[in-house]
Amino acid sequence: MSAPPATSVLEVNGLSTHINLTRSVVHAVGDVSFEIKAGETLGLVGESGCGKSMTGLSLLNLLPHGGHIVEGSIKLSGLELVGLPERKLRTIRGNEIAMIFQDSQSSLNPTMTIGRQVMEPVRLHRGVSKHEALDRALEVLELVGLPHPRERFDDFPHQLSGGLRQRVMIAIALACEPKVLVADEPTTALDVTIQAQILALLDDLEERLGMSTLLITHDMGVVAGRTDRINVMYAGRIVETATTYRLFTGMRHPYTQALLGSIPSLDQDREKALYTIPGLPPDLAPPPSGCRFAARCAYATDECREHEPPLDGAEGHLFACWHPVDGPIERLPTIVPPESVKVPIAATANGRHLLELDGVVREFPVTAGIILRRKVDSVKAVSGVTLHVDAGETFGLVGESGCGKTTLGKLIVGAELPDGGTVELEGKRVFALKGRALRRARRDLQMMFQDPYASLDPRMRVQAILREPLEIQKIGSRQEQDERITTVLREVGLPQTALERYPHEFSGGQRQRVGLARALMLDPKVIVADEPVSALDVSIRSQILNLMRRLQLERGTASVVISHDLAVVKYLSDRIGVMYLGKLVELGNGDDIYRRAAHPYTDALIKTIPVPDPAVKRADIAISGELPSPRNPPSGCRFRTRCPRAQDLCAEEEPLLRSFGPGHVAACHFPLQAPGEAAAEAVADGDPE
Amino acid sequence: MTGYIIRRCVAAVIIAIGVAAVSYALLNFAGGSPVYAALGTHANPKAVAQWNRVHGFDKPLIVQIGNYVWNAVQLKFGYSYKQGQSVAALLDENAGRTAYLSGSALVLALIIALPLGIAQAVKRNSVSDYAATAITFTLYSMPAFFLGLILIQFFALDLHIFPPLVSSNVTSVWASFTHPAQLTLPIVTLAALTVAGFSRYMRSSALDALAQDYIRLARAKGLSERVVLARHLVRNACLPMITLVGLAIPGLLAGNIITETLYNYPGLGLLFYNALQGLDYPVLLAYTLIGGVLTVTGNLVADIAVAAADPRIRLG
Repeated sequence: MSAPPATSVLEVNGLSTHINLTRSVVHAVGDVSFEIKAGETLGLVGESGCGKSMTGLSLLNLLPHGGHIVEGSIKLSGLELVGLPERKLRTIRGNEIAMIFQDSQSSLNPTMTIGRQVMEPVRLHRGVSKHEALDRALEVLELVGLPHPRERFDDFPHQLSGGLRQRVMIAIALACEPKVLVADEPTTALDVTIQAQILALLDDLEERLGMSTLLITHDMGVVAGRTDRINVMYAGRIVETATTYRLFTGMRHPYTQALLGSIPSLDQDREKALYTIPGLPPDLAPPPSGCRFAARCAYATDECREHEPPLDGAEGHLFACWHPVDGPIERLPTIVPPESVKVPIAATANGRHLLELDGVVREFPVTAGIILRRKVDSVKAVSGVTLHVDAGETFGLVGESGCGKTTLGKLIVGAELPDGGTVELEGKRVFALKGRALRRARRDLQMMFQDPYASLDPRMRVQAILREPLEIQKIGSRQEQDERITTVLREVGLPQTALERYPHEFSGGQRQRVGLARALMLDPKVIVADEPVSALDVSIRSQILNLMRRLQLERGTASVVISHDLAVVKYLSDRIGVMYLGKLVELGNGDDIYRRAAHPYTDALIKTIPVPDPAVKRADIAISGELPSPRNPPSGCRFRTRCPRAQDLCAEEEPLLRSFGPGHVAACHFPLQAPGEAAAEAVADGDPE
Repeated sequence: MTGYIIRRCVAAVIIAIGVAAVSYALLNFAGGSPVYAALGTHANPKAVAQWNRVHGFDKPLIVQIGNYVWNAVQLKFGYSYKQGQSVAALLDENAGRTAYLSGSALVLALIIALPLGIAQAVKRNSVSDYAATAITFTLYSMPAFFLGLILIQFFALDLHIFPPLVSSNVTSVWASFTHPAQLTLPIVTLAALTVAGFSRYMRSSALDALAQDYIRLARAKGLSERVVLARHLVRNACLPMITLVGLAIPGLLAGNIITETLYNYPGLGLLFYNALQGLDYPVLLAYTLIGGVLTVTGNLVADIAVAAADPRIRLG
């Protein structure tokens, strides 16, 4: 490449990595070249299976069983790493190139104290005494912001939260002050608030230590604000590389364009469909000839299918395409169906709502005692939540993990029963019913899960999976059941051939369609979708989101969408509730929440979302610290321990929900907006007028 | 932790009592009282009734069970009329030798199986892995008496390295210990049967651990493969083995019956075998009870050992 070698720390040229499987060879990385300059952060983005992690692992020659570099060169400060004997390579790993992984839970040895794990590379590479290594370990743990490192030193990984564990993993990587840090999805497993903290930490450390970083991620929002340059990978190839700003504003490759177009943004027009990439990435054993994206590309011609385009361009903006595009896509077909089909959102005739939750409480007991287990404490998962959902309405529920949103979802469908308060469907307390009446009522409340692979029986064919709800409810003759299955299958966009197949034969996106079909089989009144797209890749995610949005509008089924992804919730939901530690802290429509947030927590949550737009200035870390234990929630306002606006009153008195406009309520003593006219009056329920 | 152990011990005692009661009842249905062992098979009915009354075997079953359990709690297991000794004395005499045989076999099996399993996982799908698998499966599928006979034929009768039977001089644990050649074949027989199961389990457990991210992170630190295995793999891979070993302890007792009989080694197994031949009910009962107690104890010890070895598990 063009830059003078003096400034580049890492130079990769023509790197190809293969993985030998029993019957085939996966061409995981094909002819990849890039360089990272001193102090630079290079982003490597792409969907799962595109070879980005294999590229990262190739740099340290840590490839999985059967993986090997077939050709190419990796130069670290001029030293060729490919072909270097393992013994030499070991002096470089963890010393000059370090790596951090996605899942800190499984990446730390569960039976070794964190202190010893941090000391390990120091002892190895610095050849220092135990005592010096201990001092250095304390120093780096302090550097990565682990509170009280001396007291935490002998903790085991499971005793730390996910965010702190990730800090420990970063400490291990930085212990020997490497020149290059390979960060493979460093924040994917974390909550947005913790993600913002970890990304800020990485930024800060890069600056202070003058380290170069290869940031591998699927999240365009994460790279947008944190990288100098970005490589986009597809099917083992780099298809486009440019400066971050250039890539987001003037991309030339249709894949880059499609990838960015398929992410719902916070100002996404809810009337418009999301851009989708049809099909799936190709099988790389062996890869297809021609342009690897051709099969899914809207601009592909015969030329694309026959000849592979070279990575070419000027001024550091390279792309591999015969028919390049110019900048982001102009937006998109509308999704709103004709008025006749659209179901209006409304309270039912008698003025009641379809689904009403009133002061719902769920606590999980913590027991102790030698022979007789008595309850000594409880985990307050849901502490008095009041909300309603109308027919045809989609209600979004957001919050960090551990805030009680999943438990609330289970309470709605009756997978958990409340310890206090009531859940009513059409004015009836459904789960107080017994026997046949209860079984009949369960039809109306169905659930769609996050992980379709885990929630579909692996030994049942799709036909049996879809028939089961009908059989349990004894609905229709066999022929009527078949007809119903066919109809629903068509609605979720699966072919009839799917009926004879088992769940493992589908891709992730198709499996999630099966999960949705199962939820729709009984034509429920309310569907609870818990993280419906979190396990899916960006391009597949937009297909499912479009499908859910279309079905919402056409069928008018009310739904509750639970997600940590605020953009997803905003796109799908008419109204949104923000939960914090078992409490509903704010409730309103999308604009209330995203533009006129009254609660400091809502505001902070929105500010921490990584926006896929490099022009957006990063806010400083909006929330520090972590979610307090739900066993002993803070007195008064539960958010006060992390709130920048907290005062004495917040600890003494729990704020009640107050109105901030029609249908917009928040529970805060010192809100960001002036409360509406009914200022002091507590509002139990946020009716949209 | 203490509370948990107390709770589990109480449960263990209750289960052991249950085992005693159920075994007594089953043997009662099978044959009833040891009267014929005491008086001979041709004793006249009057004498039998008289004997039963004196020894309490005419009482309702529930009372007999109660008596048996109450005596068993005090370590009184009745009297073996065949052997002319109290069962407790018989157990006392033989248990040590069996414990020595089983214990040595277990230790030997672990010494072989743990490194073998890890080595197979590291060199998975190689020729040596397949060869080790073939050998362990052959052993796994072989009955104890058959393996024992082969070993006797080969090492004792053909090569004259080891004696074919344990000499009758070996009468104490100490004697077993000081005459290693005498016990080599029985220990090897018992161990060989256990090695197969252990090493298969260890292999899959090590494979699981090898696939973990912390192994990859350990390599990314620049540690040598040997250190990665020794420091990060072994302890984690052995955790599931603890439970398996705990559950294998009562199994060794069962394996002993055949091995001890084959080599004529005077232990609990041989005692049981002889008792079975002579319908010596008190001994059979006691042996069954020992099996039950060992199962419960093995489980309990394994659970506590896992908690001690794995910081993630807190018993409570």
